[in-house]
Amino acid sequence: MGMLLFLLAAGLTLIFGMLRVINFAHGSLYMLGAYLAFQVVNVTGIFWAGLIAAPIIAAVVGALMERIALRPVYNRDHVYQLLLTFGFILVIDEAVRILWGLEYKQMYPPELLSGAIEMFGSSVPSYRLFIIGFGAAVSAALFFMLDRSRYGMIIRAASGDPEMVRTLGINVSLVRTGVFSFGAGLAALGGAAAGPLFPIELGMGFNIIIDSFIVVIIGGLGNIRGAVMAALLIGMTRALGYSYAPSWVDFLTFILLIGTLILRPEGLFSRKGRTA
Amino acid sequence: MNIVKSTMMGVACAALISVAGASPVYADDPDAFKIGAVLPFSGPYGIIGKGMKQGAQLAIEMRGGTVLGKPVEVTWEDSETKPQPAVQKATRLISSGAQMIFGAASSASTAALQGITEQRKIPLLVTISADDKITRANGYRYTFRTSNTLGMEIRMAMEYTKAAGLKKIYAVGADYAVTRDGLEAYSAAAKEAGVEIIGVDYAPLGNRDYSVIIDKIAKTDADGVVLIVTGSDGVTFLKQAGQAGLGKTKTLFGPVLQDEVLAAAVGPDSIGAASGVRYHYSFDNPANKAFVEAYRAKYNEWPDSFAGEAFDGMSWFLDVVDSTNSWNREDWIKAFEGSVRENSVEGRKEMRACDHQALQVGLWGVVEKGEAPYPDLKMKITNVFQPDVLFPECAE
Repeated sequence: MGMLLFLLAAGLTLIFGMLRVINFAHGSLYMLGAYLAFQVVNVTGIFWAGLIAAPIIAAVVGALMERIALRPVYNRDHVYQLLLTFGFILVIDEAVRILWGLEYKQMYPPELLSGAIEMFGSSVPSYRLFIIGFGAAVSAALFFMLDRSRYGMIIRAASGDPEMVRTLGINVSLVRTGVFSFGAGLAALGGAAAGPLFPIELGMGFNIIIDSFIVVIIGGLGNIRGAVMAALLIGMTRALGYSYAPSWVDFLTFILLIGTLILRPEGLFSRKGRTA
Repeated sequence: MNIVKSTMMGVACAALISVAGASPVYADDPDAFKIGAVLPFSGPYGIIGKGMKQGAQLAIEMRGGTVLGKPVEVTWEDSETKPQPAVQKATRLISSGAQMIFGAASSASTAALQGITEQRKIPLLVTISADDKITRANGYRYTFRTSNTLGMEIRMAMEYTKAAGLKKIYAVGADYAVTRDGLEAYSAAAKEAGVEIIGVDYAPLGNRDYSVIIDKIAKTDADGVVLIVTGSDGVTFLKQAGQAGLGKTKTLFGPVLQDEVLAAAVGPDSIGAASGVRYHYSFDNPANKAFVEAYRAKYNEWPDSFAGEAFDGMSWFLDVVDSTNSWNREDWIKAFEGSVRENSVEGRKEMRACDHQALQVGLWGVVEKGEAPYPDLKMKITNVFQPDVLFPECAE
């Protein structure tokens, strides 16, 4: 669960860090990813094809969303951007309803990962172990890209001072489209990976987006490293909650959020002067 | 001042006219029998609305589309699975002359509809909402429920526990009022029956991660797990339990855990899960056979429990209205109280006068692999429990 939350929160925080847009439609993109993966798996019969194709298609959808709708409102008040992302929710949800209907859809883990492994006296489903490894690999790749690569440097620079970056001859608009599209792809990757764990349904995005926002706030808005740590912190808190007091799990999560907002509103893992 | 006064008077008059207009004078012989259907066509229960509409439409069609010699007109409105829109739309339907309201699906929406139908003295036909409070002794005069109650389904779960010889039960419930009441009722009945409850966990409604709870259950010596959850919570649990192999060592069951729609969402991991079933197309009686045949001919699919219950309730109610030969709604209420339907699609049903709840058999089934023309995963009815063990006496 922690790793799934990370995939979602990473996209959310990346978009916020770079574009200063709080993307409420992130949950809908996650849901879209699950439906797209379902469709691809249904047609090809190959789980991995769904896991790869869904984020790519969602990234294209994300790029179109940014280019057509979001770009014209960057210079306006934040309220316009919030309203617009709310509008995206309605459009994506309606499109999914028309394309796939209201029935629950199902996806199974690939044959290789459909069993369970005995670990420390517990039977752990192999697919869950895969999600943990996969999430860790994605987070390592993200670190590498943002911290070490030239693209990461441009993204960080464009986030901090877009005017200066533009003066240096870099197309900031294109960078912004790329970041939004990449964030949308990460959300869809989360959705595709979640397919075998949860029912694929219209409400699935709404269920998880609140937790993702909590992760982003605890980790520090725009802080990828913080998102990883916060996702793990939330995941562990919830796991302990389920062990000892399942009905208090949501309460514990919100206590963590409220504590963060009171004691360190900039996020538990944020460092001064560092975004994205 | 005069201007203010006359404006106020004008507004008051307009309000009066609109209120009077909203409550049409009762016509002795209207042009049509108007039904206002408030069902979820969107939101979490959107799928339920589709089945209910198809079932009710067929009920009207199979009686030639008329009641009391007049054509039946149904206006379908979307409750969006929320009480507020449900009430707004029902109010509008009543204002435009609806003689009865049909709906909703979620118990919260139905409870909201009960307020407005009691106030406006319009019959409300409930064919799916299961909250026990919807029909209670000397409660709502205008509400009639022809389908199951949650209390009845909890008692079915207990009867199944005894019939299957389960002795140690781990209980998991969704953390909200109705399911907490249900789990407490189950626990009390278990104590009486000498069944031990070895653990209870309430997970938040809409919970996404059951892995820790599943692991806890796996480490106990429980022989059964009762799941008082429904919809996507049940699907999530069974999917994750299947991946951990929990069903291999323990019987997974619940009062409203599975039907064919939910089993399809879980996939093969649902095989062996046992659940109360509101209605099933395989129930063997002539009325059900005729309904299933007509339904398949019209929609080219098997009727789900929402369609079956809606068909049954609507057919029964309209037959009762017809039998009164009257357009007076109070006559319909009196005729429906105590009405007996020998040929319902689930056998005999009796509308109890004290609480307007239909007494009926309870169906219990287990998910098994289906073969064409049946769905890939189908419910097999394993137990039919009689009303005398499912419905307590009407409390005064």
